[in-house]
Amino acid sequence: MTLSDTIAGLLGLNANDPLQFFIAAIIASAIVGTFMLVNVAIAGPWAKRKITAAFTDRIAVNRIGPFGLMIIVADAVRLLSKELIVPEKVDRPAWDLAPLIIAGSALFGFAVIPMGSGVQVADPEVGLAYVFAVASLASIGLVMAGYASNNKYSMLGGLRAVAQNLAYEIPLVLTGVSVVLFAGTLRMSEIVAAQTETLVTIAGIGIPSWYAFVNPFAFVLFLVANLAEVGRNPFDTPEAPTEIVAGYQTEYSSVYFVLMYLGEFIHIFLGGAIITTIFLGGPTGPVLPGIVWFLIKIWAVFLFTQWARSALPRVRIDQLIEIGWKGMLVLSFANLVLTAIIVGVIA
Amino acid sequence: MGNPWIAIGALALVGLLIPVGMMVISKLLRPSVPEQGKRSTYESGEIPTGDTRIRFNIQYYMVALLFVIFDIETVLIFPWTVIYRSALENGVGLTRTLGPMLVFIGVLVVGLGWAWRNGAVKWVRSPRAEKRKDAR
Repeated sequence: MTLSDTIAGLLGLNANDPLQFFIAAIIASAIVGTFMLVNVAIAGPWAKRKITAAFTDRIAVNRIGPFGLMIIVADAVRLLSKELIVPEKVDRPAWDLAPLIIAGSALFGFAVIPMGSGVQVADPEVGLAYVFAVASLASIGLVMAGYASNNKYSMLGGLRAVAQNLAYEIPLVLTGVSVVLFAGTLRMSEIVAAQTETLVTIAGIGIPSWYAFVNPFAFVLFLVANLAEVGRNPFDTPEAPTEIVAGYQTEYSSVYFVLMYLGEFIHIFLGGAIITTIFLGGPTGPVLPGIVWFLIKIWAVFLFTQWARSALPRVRIDQLIEIGWKGMLVLSFANLVLTAIIVGVIA
Repeated sequence: MGNPWIAIGALALVGLLIPVGMMVISKLLRPSVPEQGKRSTYESGEIPTGDTRIRFNIQYYMVALLFVIFDIETVLIFPWTVIYRSALENGVGLTRTLGPMLVFIGVLVVGLGWAWRNGAVKWVRSPRAEKRKDAR
């Protein structure tokens, strides 16, 4: 049962009628979308500052509200009420559409992510393929933003973003499908269900067969490729504040900047949600309800990206291309073939 | 059970309406103070020199071509991974399930090796940068 079906049942709508089901699905989507926006709102203006401050031994936002939490409201009002400055000679439709694509495309992916038992907007048969497809839509937005801004830094940032996504998309997908070799399905709920069995029992505690434990090599590869996909350190050359100002978002201000920033954070959480679903057993876990486990896991991945941001130096763009094509790609092929042989021997 | 693609379409609509809604809210809140010079392109505080849309070495067009090949290849690997395990459990031998895919991936790896040897997967330096490197 997906969330859309549950809501259709609660409202007494017929799930087989397209229009009635669409209404139920809109409500389910609004719930999931709001849920993710709340996560991003906490992560962007508050948690990110707090985490970075903790890593660099400083005190961050602590003036407004308990633990400085009201900074979230203050920042939202501040950024939305800024004047929108449209630079000269920007390509108007493309310049306006880019933030929409970046923020929207990251939200699309959450349609198929299981966030708890039954908390999932849709569960199509090709869920994993769909989520990889929409996750890479954002690069179109990045290149549009970079080109349309008519700014040299933006242009460089957009081109770097494309180079990076080209190099890391294939390792990401190849490592992702190596999980499918075990699960034998692309349906997200079935991939999660396949990870609930007990792998080994140590001292009476059953370790679940999360694919991170079954195939740790693939997990590490996927984590690294995911860092590059969402453009975080050490792979943040598209934005590289010390080299090209802010990359593709140099010329964006006001609500457009908010959308770019929001899109990046939703993308980090989408990456975290994909990792959670295919490697960390999705929303399953003992005692606590599924949604809490889902939150713990995606925030753990978020914390990892912030840790990488504080701890690792940025790689140069030429090193980035070489790591991607000569390192990650070869390793992900090796992982795929080895996984296939291991599955072949077990089965 | 409703059609999952209707639900995905609904989320796509919501996913676009949220940013559009934020744009509308901001439109109502924000001031507009047009001023001379405010709109000029940012270039570290200087007056921009030259145009951005010039002929420019984007450095990775060979990589982009390679990407197309490997991307199609990942699409072809997807269906294989889905049926692989169930085929093995139904008694189809390894030579018929794994063998052909090994040949397929082998061909691609040989192709990658060829591209690698010919310098397609590296960040191409401009002739000027090469000259500077040689002079050093």
